[in-house]
Amino acid sequence: MAGRRWTRWVVAIPMAALALATVYPLVFTANVAMKTRREYVLDRFSLSDAPRWDNIASAWTSVGMSRYFLNSAVVVTCSVALLLLFGSMAGFALARLRFRGSSALYLGFLAALFIPFQVIMVPLTRVLAGTGLVDTYPGLVLAYVAQFLPFTVFLMTSYYSTVPAEVVDAARIDGNTAFGVYWRIMLPMGVPALISVGVLNALFCWNDVLIALLVMPSAEHRTLMVGVTSLRGQYSDDIPVFASGVLVAAVPVLVVYLFLQRQIADGVSAGATKG
Amino acid sequence: MPPGAAPTPVRPAPTPQPLGAVARRRGPRTELLAPFVLVAPAVLIIVGLRLWPLVLGINFSFTGDGDRNGMPVGLDNYVTLLGDPLFRTALRNVGLLVLLLPVAVAIPGLLATFIYLRTPGHRVYRAVYFFPAVLSPVIVGAIFNLLLAYDGPFNEVLAVVGLGPVDWLGDPDVAIFAVAGVHVWATFGMALVVFLAGFANLDPSLLDAARVDGASLPQSIRHVIVPGLTRTIQFVFVTTMIGLLTSMFGLLFVMTGGGPEASTYLPEYYIWVQQGQFNQPALASAASTALFLIMLLVGLAQIGVLRRAGREG
Repeated sequence: MAGRRWTRWVVAIPMAALALATVYPLVFTANVAMKTRREYVLDRFSLSDAPRWDNIASAWTSVGMSRYFLNSAVVVTCSVALLLLFGSMAGFALARLRFRGSSALYLGFLAALFIPFQVIMVPLTRVLAGTGLVDTYPGLVLAYVAQFLPFTVFLMTSYYSTVPAEVVDAARIDGNTAFGVYWRIMLPMGVPALISVGVLNALFCWNDVLIALLVMPSAEHRTLMVGVTSLRGQYSDDIPVFASGVLVAAVPVLVVYLFLQRQIADGVSAGATKG
Repeated sequence: MPPGAAPTPVRPAPTPQPLGAVARRRGPRTELLAPFVLVAPAVLIIVGLRLWPLVLGINFSFTGDGDRNGMPVGLDNYVTLLGDPLFRTALRNVGLLVLLLPVAVAIPGLLATFIYLRTPGHRVYRAVYFFPAVLSPVIVGAIFNLLLAYDGPFNEVLAVVGLGPVDWLGDPDVAIFAVAGVHVWATFGMALVVFLAGFANLDPSLLDAARVDGASLPQSIRHVIVPGLTRTIQFVFVTTMIGLLTSMFGLLFVMTGGGPEASTYLPEYYIWVQQGQFNQPALASAASTALFLIMLLVGLAQIGVLRRAGREG
């Protein structure tokens, strides 16, 4: 028994070290963001003696992070709203309505899940360009919806499969049409799954850079992550401002993680256990 | 979640209400069409913006670029690809990543085991380890650009221990491993959460029985945990490989830009460069199709190998 406890602690120490290695890079960046250039050059690790918010302010204003931030917020909000709407509609129909070809359709959605964006990025850009959607907000929103819809449909279908069929039957007997059942029963019942899937999709869209680079090439349409990539060139000699820009881009995600950790982890593991 | 677990709402006996009657009378046609209307937006978007581009892309890879734009050229693009040193580097790097794959799966697997066995602090670790997985590769890459710079803090720490400075992102023999390492740092929490979900389905009495029989930890892992989690391990293998092949673009774009000496190309980066920089979309499409084939092969091979291993165990 004593030996067992001993091994446990032998494991605990590397695990603690790894936890430190997981958190420290961001702590380091946050600390650098609070320093002056001089302080950073003299000593990278020491705590900045007084937090300097002017780095953050200059990243926010002069680099244009505020504009990029707004672009990202608009695109992510619209994309997630459409994903949840279309995903829950299809998920309800596939899980709880019987119709011809429903199982073939479900397999089709599953297959679409395994087409990586890299494989279709050239022709997709052409299709969007052909319809005049390149470099427009609707274009980027559509690209995100197309990218993450198979996953959303898949998770919503498996969630709605756990809703007892009696619930749907009872609502039908009460005189609801299929659309009524969807709107009055399934949508409210789906809230836990919608939150989980919605948060994950918001993270995917917020964090993406490849799709945004392809679909929104012009500078004033940059999303926040594309903006971060352009920081490096501009501020390679002013590391604290660079770090501030990175921090500004990371903070919303950190806040979301702090409050919705459970939902995020649930969404990730639901994909695994139900597949 | 067992379907019977949720309480079934008790409804009053159906009474013929005018509303219901109307709904049902309006019924047949709209009701028959309802499921199709509900799936229509999703189907249209996925067919139009995923399946159709896939077909277009494959078709496109057999046409020419530049002067031969749109003309059928047979397999020319694929021949060009195989002769292109950049694409060969990309393939070589895929090979290296496949070799790293067992490590990238074993680390989260072991950590999940220790968390499952309630190592002191397990609750905190779960949350802490997962946290980099929510950060964008762009942010992760930018942070590690700072940390791994030649005159950066990481080398400063190494110097304290007496190890020479390593040019993490500037040495062609090192850079791809540095980037892959950062990718593993950023994503192991994802696999960890999946493993923990697998552990939730493992029968704890099996582990207790093994412990009573005096099995050591490695023995328990080999004979109880690995066979009990075969499906989860398969899933993590496949998703980790997909991750290595398709979600390193952000890191490469920010950390190395394919360099130094074009040593950190991966197929996805090659596609991006051919399409965006060199304006050779047909060649890029051929590379896309090649990437798709690689992913299919790797996925099938892994499933085959793991299935055989599972049967022997």
